[in-house]
Amino acid sequence: MIDCDIHPQISDPEALLAYIEPGQRDWFRAQGPGLGLPGYSWTHPVGWFRADLETANGNLPGGSVESIRRELLDPFGIDAGVLNADDAVTVSLMPSPYRAAAFARAHNEWIRERWLEAEPRFRGAIICPAQDPEEAAKEIRRVAEDERFAHVLLVGGSERPYGEPRYLPIFEAAAECGLPVAIHSGGEGMGIAAPPGGAGPSTFYIEWHTLGSACSTMAHLVSLLCHGTFERLPNLRVLLMEGGVAWLPGILWRLDTNWRGLREEVPWLTRKPSEVAADHVRFSTQPLEHTDGNDELLFEMLAAAGAPDNLCFASDYPHWDFDDPKFMVNRLPESWRDAVLHDNAAELYGERLGLVRT
Amino acid sequence: MTWHDAGAVSQLESEGRVVTRVAGREIGVVRGPDGELHGIRNRCPHHGGPLCFGTVRERLVGNPGRYEPSGRLVLHCPWHGWEFDLASGVCVDEPTMRAAVYAVRIEDGRVFVDA
Repeated sequence: MIDCDIHPQISDPEALLAYIEPGQRDWFRAQGPGLGLPGYSWTHPVGWFRADLETANGNLPGGSVESIRRELLDPFGIDAGVLNADDAVTVSLMPSPYRAAAFARAHNEWIRERWLEAEPRFRGAIICPAQDPEEAAKEIRRVAEDERFAHVLLVGGSERPYGEPRYLPIFEAAAECGLPVAIHSGGEGMGIAAPPGGAGPSTFYIEWHTLGSACSTMAHLVSLLCHGTFERLPNLRVLLMEGGVAWLPGILWRLDTNWRGLREEVPWLTRKPSEVAADHVRFSTQPLEHTDGNDELLFEMLAAAGAPDNLCFASDYPHWDFDDPKFMVNRLPESWRDAVLHDNAAELYGERLGLVRT
Repeated sequence: MTWHDAGAVSQLESEGRVVTRVAGREIGVVRGPDGELHGIRNRCPHHGGPLCFGTVRERLVGNPGRYEPSGRLVLHCPWHGWEFDLASGVCVDEPTMRAAVYAVRIEDGRVFVDA
């Protein structure tokens, strides 16, 4: 089993601050536990984490290599798991691209030395200052030399949708390095990001969690397809994470329909957008929508949108809306299990994971 | 097949199309900007729109961010804008859909379609 979405927590900010360049370290320290990241305007009413996880020795859940081994990797037989920055992925939404670049560099080094060195089943995600795409591309190329980093990680919250040409250097660098770009929901409406949902800011976390993540995921998908990002970069792959999947057939049918009538605006799209998506875009399963007994309908709909070939398992450990791997094994159609739980991610990450089954 | 009078050449030239009814079906002749005439059924296979009342214009192609004329004229349905090949009646971007096409000839100031 391959888990595309594990969130290591910064239990000890000083351990991370040690990797910040000396001239900026005091600034980050002075910002307190949030380390100057934009911070969430909508927060879970009780807490972000599963309440059953261990928090001994001052660690946050998911805050140590040992806890992830004990609570996730070992009991569920995870062969490889990608460590995606948690709050730190919102560096892209900091007003200062200089602070963002320094933090991203430090976080990537912290992941490398504190986590990847300690556990061979871990893989890294490269974070970068997307508000300064040239600098972001430099960081991607620097870190990608270490083959334990499996993808580039962008956050769903953004100034503009990621198909915009300003972001091309990021995708070019990733494609050049043979890395997929994962776009993980979160950060919508925070820092310099556009508001979530498209109708003005939400009131409640429940609204934000329902709409913010799904809408930004849809927006990035449609933007990347319409701008011809995959026509520009034929070997680019994108993994859309934690934005839900039940809406996927609807948005692809809608986009295909519009393409037939409006392709003059995007004449570089010579194929139906859904066909391009099938070749280049993958989706993480978590949080797989609960269907009130309509799972069969959900899977039938998803099959019409390319499943199971486009789905990769993700647990989202240690968050409260985690998908339990064993529960997912039972929920997925039997004929989908190998593809979703292992083979699709193995193929997406290729040699960097080294788990492609022949 | 029989030749049917679809209207006056003068009307085709001034309005860009003439439409007639043959055995309950509307069949039109549209005139492209190059002056070429095309006989095609006046019903879009997508949604039933009056296809002959669309516009004939050059299909655009290009690379991302670049718009280039292709040199190929297509008929854009007036309702949803789907593009149809004038020679075959096939929807260029959804080849499973096709509008019937008909031969056209001009005689004594009248437009005839073979339907």
